[in-house]
Amino acid sequence: MKRHPLLRRRFLAGAAGLLSSAVLLAACGSGPAAQPTPAGDASGEITFWSSMAGMDKVAEKFNASQDKIKVKFETIPNGGNGGYAKLSTAITAGNGPDVSTIEYAQLPQFVSNGQVVELDGFINKANTVDKLSEQIRGLVQFDGKSYGLPYDAAPMLMWYRKDLLDKAGVAVPKTWDEFEAAGKKLKAVAPKSYLASFYPNEPTLTAALAWQAGAKWFSTEGDSWKLGLRDDATKKVATFWQRMIDQKIVKVEQAFSDEWSADLANGTLAGVLGANWGATGIQKRTEANGQKGKWIAAEAPNWGTPAGAFYGGSSFNITKSSKNPAAAAKFIEFLATSPEAVAARGNTGSAYLAYPGLTKEAQKAFDASYFGNDIYAVFDKAYATILPGWQWGPNWDVTNTALKDSFGALTTGGKISTALDSSAESTLSGLKQNGLSVKE
Amino acid sequence: MATKSRTMSGTGGRTAALFLIPFFTVFTVAMIAPVIYSLVLSFYAQQKSGLGFGGAKTSFVGLENYLQVFQSETFTGGLGRLALYCLLYIPCMVGGAVVFALLLDATVARARKLFQLLVFLPHAVPGVIAALIWAYLYTPGVSPLVQALESGGIQINFLDVHMVLPSIVNIAVWEWTGYNVIILFTALQAVPREILEAARVDGASEIRTALSIKFPLILPALSVIILFTVIGTLQLFTEPAIISKATASVTSTWVPNLWAYDAAFNRHNLNQAAAASIIIALLAAGLSLAVTRLSSRMNKA
Repeated sequence: MKRHPLLRRRFLAGAAGLLSSAVLLAACGSGPAAQPTPAGDASGEITFWSSMAGMDKVAEKFNASQDKIKVKFETIPNGGNGGYAKLSTAITAGNGPDVSTIEYAQLPQFVSNGQVVELDGFINKANTVDKLSEQIRGLVQFDGKSYGLPYDAAPMLMWYRKDLLDKAGVAVPKTWDEFEAAGKKLKAVAPKSYLASFYPNEPTLTAALAWQAGAKWFSTEGDSWKLGLRDDATKKVATFWQRMIDQKIVKVEQAFSDEWSADLANGTLAGVLGANWGATGIQKRTEANGQKGKWIAAEAPNWGTPAGAFYGGSSFNITKSSKNPAAAAKFIEFLATSPEAVAARGNTGSAYLAYPGLTKEAQKAFDASYFGNDIYAVFDKAYATILPGWQWGPNWDVTNTALKDSFGALTTGGKISTALDSSAESTLSGLKQNGLSVKE
Repeated sequence: MATKSRTMSGTGGRTAALFLIPFFTVFTVAMIAPVIYSLVLSFYAQQKSGLGFGGAKTSFVGLENYLQVFQSETFTGGLGRLALYCLLYIPCMVGGAVVFALLLDATVARARKLFQLLVFLPHAVPGVIAALIWAYLYTPGVSPLVQALESGGIQINFLDVHMVLPSIVNIAVWEWTGYNVIILFTALQAVPREILEAARVDGASEIRTALSIKFPLILPALSVIILFTVIGTLQLFTEPAIISKATASVTSTWVPNLWAYDAAFNRHNLNQAAAASIIIALLAAGLSLAVTRLSSRMNKA
């Protein structure tokens, strides 16, 4: 050993380096803690991450509108393609953006993980959060504190091929019973077509269906969570959709997949259960097949009394890794409340916005001539019936993946009710592993 | 040992150390440090309380994370699936590679170059692209392959729960057979021509020569291939991750690597993910050791 002093020194240096890098890595867990300060004259450069189309133009517009704050925009993949994994990892490592875009379903887990900061103290509360409707405010406030400024309020809708419904001799279904009857008539005329799809990869839509039926998958009782994935309303929805699948009125297929796109283009699908933001997607998938003017928007069928739910929708947040929360606050106020921001986004997204008075700007910016009816009038009606009181759980991704995984067996004889059972169990054990107090 | 180190004395040791520094620096930063960090992570847990909005505490939990991983039915299920995958994949791929290599060796020299290229071509396609192409070929309603089969009266859904494993094995076989054919073919080229000539003079047929002379002589190369394949199989991630976009049959915890990814990025439990990664690494190390032992015994015999 004595004859290799260099080697040994190297080794010691290496070990020391290792230790220090371990310390460094461990230190990554705690980024700069943001202290609420009044956002008087905020300035500086901030970064903004979003997967929404057209947000680059909105950031440009903001930069042009003033000269104190400069926003650097970066597109990231959407949630289904790993966007949240990227965001969450970056924030934890301390190099996340200042401003993030997080959907309502995922927001509680970012709050619970301490990855976004409380907005009160940075934002002008009276001009933003306080002006929102109760349904939307409940999705961004936890324990009475706000963690996001809502962008859109996306009502669940049905999109139909009006020509195919006419051919089958059915009117737009108002209730789920009528939906079933319409499906049967459609099958009689065109045995190979379907009235809609059931998407195994979109549990947030399954949640919206349950929400519309009056279910509450997540609620709080004192200091613990109460799960409702197996409540009566959800069971009713599960039974209904199981019947639709068994009768081949709806097709089990992945949303946004090649298979789904092909089914839209070739007319296999006479309907799409979706939301306002689906307009561009439907247009892009079908316009090459001469379906202009054939698609209409309609309120989703209900259980007898008008009731709706949100499907999707995003909020803007200030992350824990932001070194300039005051400037970030100015920017998210612009994003969420300014008519200029909505106009700058341009002809994409067919947005329905949470902040009062903004939707008419979005309507002006969006070219809806592809569709056979006044889609924004339908959005208005659907928005008016949203049931209040829905809450997302503290780790939606646990439930989300559990549902996705068990829906995988639907094409080979699996049942929706079994999927809900196993997902309830996974959610229960997943939350307990995190140390949360939870019961069913 | 003592005599050995004396012969290495003088400047020899220093020079060697100097040459080894670049390697060990990179190795330390890129390999050892992350492993140690994962090890540390795997012994801790983030504990929240109540509704979970009050922030989390990090506490030492010993082997709790490892226990949770092993108790998870989806993790052990993923291991079982991986075993099944190996059972299908290794015989198909290695068997195919041996047959192709022997055929290649037996063909005339001019055709050889062309076949060599053709067989290797799939491997030149990056794994992600290959998976995307196959996902397209498997998707009902889009795929010309499925359509052709349907018009021939065969109804098959390559992506349902029962078929998706063989479908993914098929992608891997398509991707890796050619690569291994080249390795085996190179080994075949090293077989002394005198032996083959002697066999021919003795009246052995091409098939007999292939089975009794060539095959035993390429066994060492074959064991190397199996070693790499086994380790590679444990790393199975890309193909199922891509295919899962096209079908719900591939769950988010389908194989151990996907399980670790899901733990880290969907369930936000980095500690559990670290424990799972360590387990996968240990499994790979154990399997490599077993295969090396086995093949060295085989080669001696």
